Amino acid sequence: MKHRLIHALLLVALVLSLAACTAVAPTAPAGEAGGAGQTKTVAVVTPYMANATTKYAIEQFEKYGKAKGWNVTVTDTNADFNLLVSRIEDAVTQKVDAIVLGMGDPAQMTKGLEAAQAAGIPVFGLDAGNGPGVVLNITSDNGQLGRETARYLAEAIGGKGNVVMFTHDPHPGVRARAEAAAAEFANYPEITVIEKKHIEVPGPVDFARSVTQDLLTAYPNDGDIAGIWAGWDEPALGATQAIEAAERSGIVVVGIDGTDFARAEIAKGGPFIASIAQDFDGMAKQLADIIEAYFNGEKPASDSVQIPGVMVTRE
Amino acid sequence: MQTESSLSRTQLRQDANRWLRTYGTFIGFLAMIVIFSLLRPGVFLSPNNLRNITEQVAILAIVATTMTVVMVVGDFDLSVGALASLSGVVVADLLIQGVGLWPAVLVALAVGAAAGLLNGLLVAYFGLSAFVATLATMTAFRGLSLFYTNGSTLFSGIPESFRLFGQSFTGPIPNSVLIMLGVLAATWFVLEQTTFGRRLYAVGGNAQASYLAGLNVRALRLSAFVISGLGAALAGVVLTSRLFSAHPTAGEPLMLNSIAAVFLGMTMFREGEPHVPGTFVGVLLLGVMSNGLNILQVNSYIQLVLTGAIILLAVLLSGLARRE
Repeated sequence: MKHRLIHALLLVALVLSLAACTAVAPTAPAGEAGGAGQTKTVAVVTPYMANATTKYAIEQFEKYGKAKGWNVTVTDTNADFNLLVSRIEDAVTQKVDAIVLGMGDPAQMTKGLEAAQAAGIPVFGLDAGNGPGVVLNITSDNGQLGRETARYLAEAIGGKGNVVMFTHDPHPGVRARAEAAAAEFANYPEITVIEKKHIEVPGPVDFARSVTQDLLTAYPNDGDIAGIWAGWDEPALGATQAIEAAERSGIVVVGIDGTDFARAEIAKGGPFIASIAQDFDGMAKQLADIIEAYFNGEKPASDSVQIPGVMVTRE
Repeated sequence: MQTESSLSRTQLRQDANRWLRTYGTFIGFLAMIVIFSLLRPGVFLSPNNLRNITEQVAILAIVATTMTVVMVVGDFDLSVGALASLSGVVVADLLIQGVGLWPAVLVALAVGAAAGLLNGLLVAYFGLSAFVATLATMTAFRGLSLFYTNGSTLFSGIPESFRLFGQSFTGPIPNSVLIMLGVLAATWFVLEQTTFGRRLYAVGGNAQASYLAGLNVRALRLSAFVISGLGAALAGVVLTSRLFSAHPTAGEPLMLNSIAAVFLGMTMFREGEPHVPGTFVGVLLLGVMSNGLNILQVNSYIQLVLTGAIILLAVLLSGLARRE
């Protein structure tokens, strides 16, 4: 008896939550069929609106698009790539003038992209990737992010000393950063990369902190390690904390992404001396310009545009 | 017909087997310490490094110790990592909003207890398997942390007093280590020295028989999950204090590592049963190995392979010895 009641309650809860989901599911407003001279409709679809960076980039794009007089719609599928394909297909049915992918891997939505391609609707990637039917993808130049931060670190240690790199090679972006950074360090004959440590995720801060503690034990003297280069800001934070806790001096740390916590650390004037921010505003602005040019009949010269990052230092 | 000498040889082999399965992992652990000390003399066993190791394992030890309780009754708790993240996020957010140190910590612990209560209800009263129930709550807790923080890191405005749990020292001993020792002692006492603890072991040994013997099996399993939830939340508080920032997924690695530690512990001292001393040595083994391999400058990827291999070896050895 009690069990049957519990089951019934569970069923009711399930039905209610499903109903709630359906009610919340966004229905993209029907775009005005886009002939020349009419208001252009651009549909932005993203699986990652919950991510603060994605949200910012898309909001900036919306702003620049509206300034150009477009009707910009934004649809989020909350990490559901299957639903994302449906949303792209919806946009195709509504004959929008262009589709923008907000940071999702195009390889995971091929079916939707093929539908767009078949209907002749151009797809643009905003930090997404290239794939079938993607006219152009605009993204950060990960190589430049790695190179600039490595150069900043190399200059900060006077072009000589031992450097440790915190990497995560399975991530293609972070890998590109690390490769560029290693190439930059190779330009300094008196700099040696003594350790390349793979940082595990999730939990990169604590992991990097423990690894740094161990490295400080393995290299116990001042000057044994001159700098730590991290492929993103979380491990840089962990390294900074370990250096501070061990009261070691003469070791500087650089990260990448220009996150708010990295900016706060850099401002403190401790070991964390620099990071580099991806220029999402610049990305959004340039993508809007490229799409405008496309509407005016100018096809982009390449299918990929890379935007340099902006250094974040104490100055 | 057996001769006297073959009898005694069999006896000898049985003794050796028993000895191996009882102390094999522990001997392996000691051997590891010896090898690391010989390869890096004066470094590995330096007081500074020993302090680093205890500090590095403290948070995992807290989670693994309370995970032991859940595994004593024969269940799992997959939600501990996500729950540690969630309690860390909660305590950081409350502190940033100006709530006092102790009220904020108590609320975070209450979140852990409530989450453990939910897990316990699902498993003990709704009859879900612990795997399914805690897999689901793990996902939900992770979602809550991400939702609560909007995926970002909370750090700005955490008061200095919060360094107490994860960064401050009492004399030469890090407070996180003292908290770990407290949890170890309390959990050991409850499991080994109280009727409640013996009942938990009885449920894990044979739930049906325990029920027939008049034990309230459901309440006992529920309480194990509440203890595990509390442990996870406490670990989350210490972790957030150590990092002085709350990351919505910071606690996630704790889940698999704590289960691995309990399994390692089950190969030691007492066969096949989770127990606090074994878990603690399991945690130390994992911590010593990662610290030692880092100091020996072993490739990060190879470290993962070695860690997996050691866990397998320990479990295989104790299993093989038992089969003979």
